[in-house]
Amino acid sequence: MVSIRSIASHPSSLSPNDLPWKIVHREDRCTLCGKCAAVCPVNTLKLTYMRKRMPKIVLNSTERGSSYKTFVGIRQNTDVGRRCIGCGSCSMVCPNEAIGPVHNASDRYRFQATAGGGAITRGGRRNEPGASLLDRIIFNRISMLTDPALDAGRHEFTYNTLLGRVLPPEEYVRRKLSGEWIPPVREIFPFVIGSMSFGALSPNMWLGLLQGVAYCNEVLGIPVVMATGEGGCPPWVLKSPFLKYIILQIASGYFGWDEIIRAIPEMQCDPAAIEIKYGQGAKPGDGGLLMWFKVSKLIARLRGVPEGVDLPSPPVHQTLYSIEESVMKMIQSMSMAWNFKVPVYPKISGSTSAKSVLNNLVRNPYASALMIDGIDGGTGAAYDISLNATGHPIASNVRDCYLDLCKQGKQNEIPIFAAGGVGKNGNVVQNALALIMLGASGVHMGKFIMQSAAGCLGSEQNRCNVCNIGVCPKGITSQNPKIYRRLDPDDVAQRVVETFQSIATEVKKVMAPLGRSQSLPIGMSDALGIADKDAADRLSIRYVC
Amino acid sequence: MSKKIIVKGLDANGQRINTQIFENLVQEAFTKSHDLVLETYGQHNVGGRLKSNGEPVNIEINGPCGQRLGCMGMPGTKIVCNGPASDDVGWLNIGAEITVKGDATNGICNAMAEGKVYIGGSIGARGLTMTKWNPDYNRPELWVLGSCGDSFAEFNCGGIAVVCGIEAKNADNVLGYRPCVGMVGGSIYYRGKIDGSYSQISVKAVLPDDEQWQWLMERMPNYLENIGRSDLLATLSKRDEWAMLVSIPPQERALMKTDPMSMAEFKQKIWNPGFGGGDPIRDLAPGLDRSVIGMVETGELRRKKPFWANRDKSAPCAYYCPVHIPTIDRLKLMREGKGKEAYDMLLEYTPLPASVCGHICPNLCMQNCSRQKVDEKIDVQMLARAAKDHPAPKTAPSIGKKVAVIGGGPAGMNAAWQLARAGVEVHIFEQDHQLGGKLAQVIPWERMPQAIWMSEIDRFMAMDHITVNFGVTMTKDKFAELKKDFDHVIVAVGTHQPRTIPFPGHERVIPALDFLKSAKSDKPMKVGKQVVIIGAGNVGCDVACDAYKLGAEQVTLVDIQKPLAFGKEKAAAEALGAKFKWPVQTKEVTEQGLVDAAGQLIEAQTVIISIGDVPALKFLPETVEVLTVGGAGWVKCNAAGRTSDPKVSAVGDVERPGLATSALGAGKKTAEALLAEFRGEEWHDFGKEVVPQTSLTYAHYEPQCVGGSEGAEAERCMSCGTCRDCHLCETICPEGAITREKLPDDTFRYVSDDNKCIACGFCSDTCPCGIWLMRPF
Repeated sequence: MVSIRSIASHPSSLSPNDLPWKIVHREDRCTLCGKCAAVCPVNTLKLTYMRKRMPKIVLNSTERGSSYKTFVGIRQNTDVGRRCIGCGSCSMVCPNEAIGPVHNASDRYRFQATAGGGAITRGGRRNEPGASLLDRIIFNRISMLTDPALDAGRHEFTYNTLLGRVLPPEEYVRRKLSGEWIPPVREIFPFVIGSMSFGALSPNMWLGLLQGVAYCNEVLGIPVVMATGEGGCPPWVLKSPFLKYIILQIASGYFGWDEIIRAIPEMQCDPAAIEIKYGQGAKPGDGGLLMWFKVSKLIARLRGVPEGVDLPSPPVHQTLYSIEESVMKMIQSMSMAWNFKVPVYPKISGSTSAKSVLNNLVRNPYASALMIDGIDGGTGAAYDISLNATGHPIASNVRDCYLDLCKQGKQNEIPIFAAGGVGKNGNVVQNALALIMLGASGVHMGKFIMQSAAGCLGSEQNRCNVCNIGVCPKGITSQNPKIYRRLDPDDVAQRVVETFQSIATEVKKVMAPLGRSQSLPIGMSDALGIADKDAADRLSIRYVC
Repeated sequence: MSKKIIVKGLDANGQRINTQIFENLVQEAFTKSHDLVLETYGQHNVGGRLKSNGEPVNIEINGPCGQRLGCMGMPGTKIVCNGPASDDVGWLNIGAEITVKGDATNGICNAMAEGKVYIGGSIGARGLTMTKWNPDYNRPELWVLGSCGDSFAEFNCGGIAVVCGIEAKNADNVLGYRPCVGMVGGSIYYRGKIDGSYSQISVKAVLPDDEQWQWLMERMPNYLENIGRSDLLATLSKRDEWAMLVSIPPQERALMKTDPMSMAEFKQKIWNPGFGGGDPIRDLAPGLDRSVIGMVETGELRRKKPFWANRDKSAPCAYYCPVHIPTIDRLKLMREGKGKEAYDMLLEYTPLPASVCGHICPNLCMQNCSRQKVDEKIDVQMLARAAKDHPAPKTAPSIGKKVAVIGGGPAGMNAAWQLARAGVEVHIFEQDHQLGGKLAQVIPWERMPQAIWMSEIDRFMAMDHITVNFGVTMTKDKFAELKKDFDHVIVAVGTHQPRTIPFPGHERVIPALDFLKSAKSDKPMKVGKQVVIIGAGNVGCDVACDAYKLGAEQVTLVDIQKPLAFGKEKAAAEALGAKFKWPVQTKEVTEQGLVDAAGQLIEAQTVIISIGDVPALKFLPETVEVLTVGGAGWVKCNAAGRTSDPKVSAVGDVERPGLATSALGAGKKTAEALLAEFRGEEWHDFGKEVVPQTSLTYAHYEPQCVGGSEGAEAERCMSCGTCRDCHLCETICPEGAITREKLPDDTFRYVSDDNKCIACGFCSDTCPCGIWLMRPF
């Protein structure tokens, strides 16, 4: 007999076929070593015993009945809270290639992921698979006989950019002669490691990034800088010679600023810049939240808070009420902190109102730049609705702002930095140079560097994307030493170096055919084309087919 | 053909002849002589494409030379340019020997494959670039007396250059800025200073070895003679003034470290010193170990670990049973061949297993039995019935305590039973003349056989320390007396006051309790042919059955809501023909029967009301708080059955109406709480959680046709939450971490070695009984 038992079906009952990632397990290859189940970050994998009925079906025999056979396999838990996230850690540790997740396009999970009434949250990235707009922009003004032919391999290129307020020549000369203040300007590599906090990132990841950045500067002479995000900076780092490669961030939570202010008198050098975060592309108008389980003793010390508490960064700065006031209070105060010798700029999320912000900055003598973070930006934790559907794509936002500056003749004075999906499909140089030729002076990249330097497993098909729950299989976004110790900071540093070396080569490979070697092709939109008439019209670039 | 022919670059009018016509003139002259003097006037590409069959071809250039001198020069051609030359001397040369006595400009020897170019001065940029060498032929050579311009020898594939640094245009850097980028073959001899900007991944700096030195010295005189500077031979023969750049073979290049500094070196020399020589977060997190670990670890580095939580949780049979009878333990004793102990244990929980568990209890144990997910639930009823003749357990010697129990129903009986077992002297005060309360008074013998009941009552009566007083009507005075005479009083009077509704004609209605008591008595009351029962619960069903037994032909049960009747009672009533009707609200009861709110008559000669009974509590002192719920008073108790009077407890229906088993459970619990108090111990309620069904592994059990013997049931029991010592965890553990340990008291435990366990959870996934739990730590 086979037991007849009632199988309950609740609205939230899911079968493996309903889940976004299905575990495919090959019992014929499995050696039952347990490594997959041991490593699974969400404990979805379990050894499952299954019973098979073997009825004795022999027509001419009077013998009847059934025998049973038990077999085992690794199966996934179908509970909404313990679904497979597709990270593939199981396949990484499997000695026999017996197991791995497969993406399931027809999942019903998302309809049931709201248990308890909470809206869906995740870390990582917007889920928009396929080529992005930036992936589709190509460089098609090729210089052969019309300009000096350049060789990326042997010619020397200047591809750095300026972060800071560049005075018009006559004003510069006037101030120089009269001994007046001249705004600080940094010459930096146009690919900036985007704001990721010490807290969102594990210590091994954050320090590994900085180590790689320091190497790029000190050994290779590539002036890479990294933005820290809100959350402070270890005092030893603040007092180190590497502070000059760091863009410190102040955001609405003001975390870590006690340690920063405390360290100012002892700083050997100034930070690269100060970023004032008003918005983030991944979750415009929404705040950050470092979950309590990520607030380790270390993070608590760093941020100047008690251990194991939730740390919300509110969506807005409580005491700022207008652009004008924000610009006045924040930019001036931060400039003053380092005697007006450090560039200070705001970071906003991509928005149709970006131009208004920019125009305020143009009128503010202390504003060093504008950083715009588009909708494809990543995050450690956000609501799905914010990640997927809130915000503005970066390309047209940057373009509008840049053309606006051009109209005012100010395009060489206040740089615009762009972020949000740069390199999200791996085409980091293509994406960045497209933005630069649309008018950005440089880009920030977060997800790309996590993938490139630390092997982040995230994808636009919602693979992994669990940065928010502290179980990052690679140890990038966890504060649990049992997890983040998987990540060797030296390896991260090495990969940062290799990444920037390759970026530098690729930049040259694009610049050379354009006939540019001595300056980054900022705003060189005549070199851009796209096989999409509407996009071409919107961006004022050439439609090509 | 040895006559020297002069080809002029200017025509008779002194006008320059263009390159195309000049070339025609040269080719024409070449047919006549292989010894030509070309008086060029800026014509390009001269001296090439002159093929002789092995005969020497001598070309002398006088006058300003155009670009690409010796372009596509042939083997055997010897070109001597008596002055300087313009760009691209020897471009695409495949064998000519070209001498330029003066300087030459850019691109000298570009793409040259064979031949020699001797320059008597310096050259401009991009000399010897893309220079080839086909191994079937001789290597191309470029000799420069002075210096070279920038980007020298880019992509050189095999050409050899000799740069002498004599009267150099750029004596500070004789090879120019950034030579040898992309150079993959050949070598460069140079004499003089260079700036070190050569491509270090393409070439390496060496000193000429003997063979290379010999090569140079063998050819040097010829070069100097060609350019007319033989006087320099001694100067250029000083070996220590010469150095070389030689191409790095790809195999060697692959092995070269391209990083200017290893990360380890960087860390040691630059990174760590930046933080005062140490970890940059050593002050924030002293002693924090951030060293690298693997994906799968053991010991403290696991994120979770297994716990052998044997008996931490309760099996559902024990959990859901109001008496918490551990059926799984009984079956375990049976599996171990300890049948007698199994019965002894059962009787430690209840005096009435055969009557209650075996017959009238809805058996929550069975309803929740895990085994039904495999085949059928364990037959606990059968197991309980088998205990009917087992002797009463031994009692402990008297402990000198006396307890009065008012009411001899199941709650009072079990309270007394438990106390007596522990040596407490118990006096039961029962209003009726028999024990058992409603069990004896109203449950039809069909559902609870009298023989079994009697044998269990006999066993109860035979129990030491128990005295039963029948026919005692409780009053306030009597109660006060008991309270004074006894250490404690337990109120277990049940509910013996029928609930009624004051609709017109209510006086015609017989309470179910009275009816049932009468039906079970020697002189049962008479009933009409048509009977209506108000209240269609299980008691109503019992009433219906008895009504049929007493001669009713049609029994209708009415209710204002969906009937609550279920199970055996409902089935029995329906089998006899009882009809259920709802919703029916009684308006009145007349001689004809029951009239509902709509005025409809349900004919009946007998109407019985069965909507429950309530306690009769008039005897209670005011110290015992009573809670009024639904128009009736119930004794208020804490979890241990203790009333607001510390010397009084209340158990059973008097506190809360329930199953007979609930009453038995309450009696036991209160007795245990009281015993704990007598012993000065802390009392604990049954605090265990139930084993989650998901933690059991059902597939280990094969569905069977159920046997029906006690032994078969013992084998079928899944031992939820209690280790059955099956060794499966030990077997499945891929790391061999689990072992079974024998403990001194003859028990055992399974332990997982932290140093071996990788926390895969297979033990937990495998355990049939849900013992191994994976928990973060």
